[in-house]
Amino acid sequence: MRGNQANRLNDGGLIDRSAPLNFRFDGKAFSGFEGDTLASALVANGVKLVGRSFKYHRPRGILTAGSEEPNALVELRSGARREPNTKATTAELYEGLEAASQNRWPSLNFDVMSVNQLFAPIFVAGFYYKTFMWPAKFWEAIYEPAIRRAAGLGRAAGLSDPDHYDKVWAHCDVVIAGSGPAGLAAALAAGRSGARVILCEEDFVLGGRLLADGGTIDGLSAAEWVARTVAELEALPDVRIMTRTTLFGVYDGGTYGAIERVNDHLPAPPEHQVRQRLWRIVAKRCVVAAGAIERPIVFAGNDTPGVMMASAMRSYINRYAATPARRIALFTNNEDGWRTAETAIAAGLQVAAVIDARPDVSPAHRSLASKGGFPVLHGSVSGVDGGKSGVRKISVSLTGGARAEVEADGLAVSGGWNPAVGLTSYHRGRPKWRDDIAAFVPDGAPPGMVAAGAANGAFGLGACLREGFEAGATAARDAGRSGNTGSMPVADDAAFSLTPLWHVAGKGKAFVDQQHDVTASDVELAQREGFQSVEHLKRYTTLGMATDQGKTSNVAGLAIMAAVSGKSIPETGTTIYRPPYVPVAIGAFAGHHRDENFHATRLTPSHHWAAEQGAIFVDTGLWKRAQWYPRAGEKDWLESVTREVKAVRSGVGFCDVSTLGKIDVHGPDAGAFLDRVYINAFSSLAVGKARYGLMLREDGIVYDDGTTSRLAEDHYFLTTTTAKAGLVMQHLEFCRQVLFPELDVQLTSVSDQWAQFSIAGPKTRDLLKEIVDPAEDLSNEGFPFMGAREVKLRGGLKARLFRISFSGEMAFEISVPARYGEAMARNLMIAGKPFGVTPYGTEALGVMRIEKGHVAGPELNGTTTAADLGLGKMMSTKKDFIGRVMAGREALTALNRQVVVGIKPTDKARRLRSGAHIIPKGETPGPDNDQGYVTSVCFSPVLDQWIGLGLVERGRERIGEIVRAHDPLRGEDYDVELCNSVFYDPDGGRQRG
Amino acid sequence: MRIVCPFCGERELGEFTYLGDAKPQRPAAGADAVYDYVYLRDNVAGVMSEHWYHGGGCRAWLKVTRNTLTHEISAVEPAAGAGAAKVGA
Amino acid sequence: MADFSWDVRSPLDRALVVGPYGAQGDAGLALTEIRDFDLVQVMARRGKAGAMTKATKAHFGVAAPETPKAVAAADATLIWSGPDQFLVLSKGGRHALEMLAPVFAGSASLSDQSHARALISVSGDKARATLAKLSSIDLHPGVFGVGAAAATSMDHTSVTLWRGRDRSGLAVFNLLVFATFAESLWHTILDSAAEYGVTISHSEEFA
Repeated sequence: MRGNQANRLNDGGLIDRSAPLNFRFDGKAFSGFEGDTLASALVANGVKLVGRSFKYHRPRGILTAGSEEPNALVELRSGARREPNTKATTAELYEGLEAASQNRWPSLNFDVMSVNQLFAPIFVAGFYYKTFMWPAKFWEAIYEPAIRRAAGLGRAAGLSDPDHYDKVWAHCDVVIAGSGPAGLAAALAAGRSGARVILCEEDFVLGGRLLADGGTIDGLSAAEWVARTVAELEALPDVRIMTRTTLFGVYDGGTYGAIERVNDHLPAPPEHQVRQRLWRIVAKRCVVAAGAIERPIVFAGNDTPGVMMASAMRSYINRYAATPARRIALFTNNEDGWRTAETAIAAGLQVAAVIDARPDVSPAHRSLASKGGFPVLHGSVSGVDGGKSGVRKISVSLTGGARAEVEADGLAVSGGWNPAVGLTSYHRGRPKWRDDIAAFVPDGAPPGMVAAGAANGAFGLGACLREGFEAGATAARDAGRSGNTGSMPVADDAAFSLTPLWHVAGKGKAFVDQQHDVTASDVELAQREGFQSVEHLKRYTTLGMATDQGKTSNVAGLAIMAAVSGKSIPETGTTIYRPPYVPVAIGAFAGHHRDENFHATRLTPSHHWAAEQGAIFVDTGLWKRAQWYPRAGEKDWLESVTREVKAVRSGVGFCDVSTLGKIDVHGPDAGAFLDRVYINAFSSLAVGKARYGLMLREDGIVYDDGTTSRLAEDHYFLTTTTAKAGLVMQHLEFCRQVLFPELDVQLTSVSDQWAQFSIAGPKTRDLLKEIVDPAEDLSNEGFPFMGAREVKLRGGLKARLFRISFSGEMAFEISVPARYGEAMARNLMIAGKPFGVTPYGTEALGVMRIEKGHVAGPELNGTTTAADLGLGKMMSTKKDFIGRVMAGREALTALNRQVVVGIKPTDKARRLRSGAHIIPKGETPGPDNDQGYVTSVCFSPVLDQWIGLGLVERGRERIGEIVRAHDPLRGEDYDVELCNSVFYDPDGGRQRG
Repeated sequence: MRIVCPFCGERELGEFTYLGDAKPQRPAAGADAVYDYVYLRDNVAGVMSEHWYHGGGCRAWLKVTRNTLTHEISAVEPAAGAGAAKVGA
Repeated sequence: MADFSWDVRSPLDRALVVGPYGAQGDAGLALTEIRDFDLVQVMARRGKAGAMTKATKAHFGVAAPETPKAVAAADATLIWSGPDQFLVLSKGGRHALEMLAPVFAGSASLSDQSHARALISVSGDKARATLAKLSSIDLHPGVFGVGAAAATSMDHTSVTLWRGRDRSGLAVFNLLVFATFAESLWHTILDSAAEYGVTISHSEEFA
């Protein structure tokens, strides 16, 4: 059935007439067939106007039949799946497809903004820079919103993308871009050699130009040969053929990026399937058989709907059996363009005229013209009469000066072919100019990459097969595969002759870059205004900067610029090519990494138990940590946290501290090694003891801190902060492997091996006695402060016990192998029940460390020295250690440095805020009087007021001084007292008791 | 980019962490020498010796000879203490 | 006196739901968590690689892996984990840390990793296709044969990966992942494999 497809041929083409598909464009119902693109279905339905242009809102039609399309961009689908700037020329038709034209209001036929055309003189190159310069404050308020409303390329969905995307790695010997004659021949040779081959084809059908232009290969029709070749390739175990896949970039070391549109051809991906898949392909060799792009000739009215690339017209007629026009004129400067006249005649269409810019036309074509009854006009198209309903009449400037007019409803244009030099140029390779084809061909391709066939400037079918086959065979051989390549496919080469023609002078707008509405006169103006470099030309005019990246416009732009500047095209040169070759959705780059999977998460051994308790979790790096454990009736976090602190200070509580980095340091030189990485000594630490250690960077600034215990003569157990765990491991490995290779020391991360809990409060020992084997002596004598050793628990399980305190209370940390972590939490609850044990989170932990004046992340901030933190005395003078020399620099030991000090508001009711600046009383706040800032704050249940730590100039000498806390962000300014940073139990009796 | 780890074979960039110039040697003493070691770096446009860490793999520190203009890697060797078990064996 | 039970809980205990997942029909992937194993990191001391090799051979009857591979001994698997170091994977305490300590005294440092990792066995028609979404390693049978191993990363998480003995003609890949990352990686694996259909199980026995 043909439905309303008035422009559909009765037979031929690669469409399935038994599979009709209904679709809507701008709300209107149409039908097409399986095998159609949206563009070919629109062509079959006689739709010529498909969009409005970016700047001038000019009516635009379909220019090409491939991924180079600048005009036929639509919004595809609706709702959350609405995707702007989708090329109708590559969008596969499916049942129920919905598409809308872009950049028009209220409708495509009646677009209010087309009034812009009247103001066209001001929309010249650089008009943003020239027009919206002054006054500056108008920019954000008026100019930008107005421009954003008027311009733009479609509307994003504005909703979260409901689909899934995937990222995959692949490895092969040879990756091939393109499945035209060169690509298929390359795959054949490489595959037969035994190479692992990946063949990427952006189309949904293999064959490239063979699909539209046919030909005879090895005595078979192109279609037969493609079928035979694909069957042979599919039978090879290590050849992977990927359709709907564009090789879009090449990266260092033979890594290639490809985007596979897995389910873009369906309304929505089937359940559990992804929409698109990003491939990272590691290949030893790459054959670029990406073909060539037919280039337009720039003339007035060349953007009129109905003006189409000659090869695209053949694609629509031959591949899709859809006729873009009934009476076709052809404008060509080369032999190849004539094929469109042949195709049109074969399809029973009228050829109005062939306008050939060359002085001579081959006898064969002359006789074609006389048989077909159409004139051959020597000259150029100088204007097009038509509008949104398409081409009506074509003005021709004949060689010699006369003019002619041709009536036609379609104009096919061929300006020659540009090899697709993108991939080969992505590593700054500059393509080189070839005069014989008047085109740039690849040069300076990345290592391992070679172009073949049309992508290399070989336009004949025989040459494509030959180059492809040889490139495939060589690539396989280079990759170490030496199987028999068999015989090479053979075809004849058609003659190729071309007279370069870029731009036809004439009245009216002649477009170079149709997507960005850049005209020939814009290019000329830019050159006149001094933009000599092509890179400047590009940015000033925005030529080639739209979503199509100038695939049909860049070379013409250069040529026009070259002509105005009097330089040759190769002298003018190309801009730098950068990936991706086609737009790639951000979603594909993200893959599964979105929402809760944005990054990997780490869970503590007691995580699920804490979740059962109703803990509120906080993201700390990759970790989820219990922040506090709210109880029924508590009105806010502060109430919960205050309760937890009080429970610890008066009874006992526990907290999962497994997130601390834990490192086993083994070996006879372990002590000597630690002496070099810590500022204090560890070789002197007795077995069974723990010590607080501080590490510096080599520049003398504090790097990290933590306690390290000596478990055996040659075994230390080192802990790091949660934040720096990975970095400290890397740093220690650097010290071990690079700086001190002479030391016999071995390092292993055991962060995940141990579930570690801090148990704190005056009743800690009571709790521990319940859970630790009664034979273990936990008395102050038997297990003194900073003791560390293995103990047996009731039930026989072994644990490590460390008598260290971060809270200032009598405290232990206990470690059990991680799979016992959850049992440990439950058992601590059971053992502590008689003592009112309270689990506490990171907030309470933070409150108690501030009350105790312990430094943490906000103080170890990459600018502080050991002395700044009040830990200067720890620095050993008897040994070398990392950072020792630089820590002694004048600026790092200056007396006026900002050092850690306690801070509390003089008004006990006031809330202290971190970030507030410390200003001396009576001074004006400003950089000159800024003496530091508040780093950490908390509400102290013990003191019943807000307190904090700060870094304040000469802070420790100024205890008791009243200064101002100035907080311009919150608009606050209040008096605070500088005080001892240890607010709670300054002589440490509680933790030693 | 891909780096051939002498222990693991060729791996993708994501497994490695870059540190910087591998030429400066940590001096035993002397403020000036340490200052140079910490702060002075050549800004090499061309072949340079660099420290890379195979943290996403075998945790070996590597000395990579790389051309900063082309990213071509001409040599990779382990740091002195990576695989030090063989020293003197 | 309170009664304490010391139940072990695998890091995947909550995330793992036995049964089918994702696409229906014949599952392309079988995911099995292996629970309760002993894992010890063995690191040669400076200049003691030879002594470590000798001790390994004497104790296990096989040579320690010196390149990225997994070596099967009678009742343990020795998996290369870096230069001059390997992991000993076993069950039932026969090669637990305390048992190995005298074997490697003086030649290697040992660190218990039994609780630091989760062990996941990945097999089925789509094992390679699934792992290709997570791993940058080339797992083609011609490159990564039976016994091949790699210290590598998946989803920015360090893993030890090795190929075990084939099962019913299909490759079996084993994955040691850090315990605190295990649940996260597990979800990523399921997410990646949903389109193929997954059969999820856990086992006390090695694959």
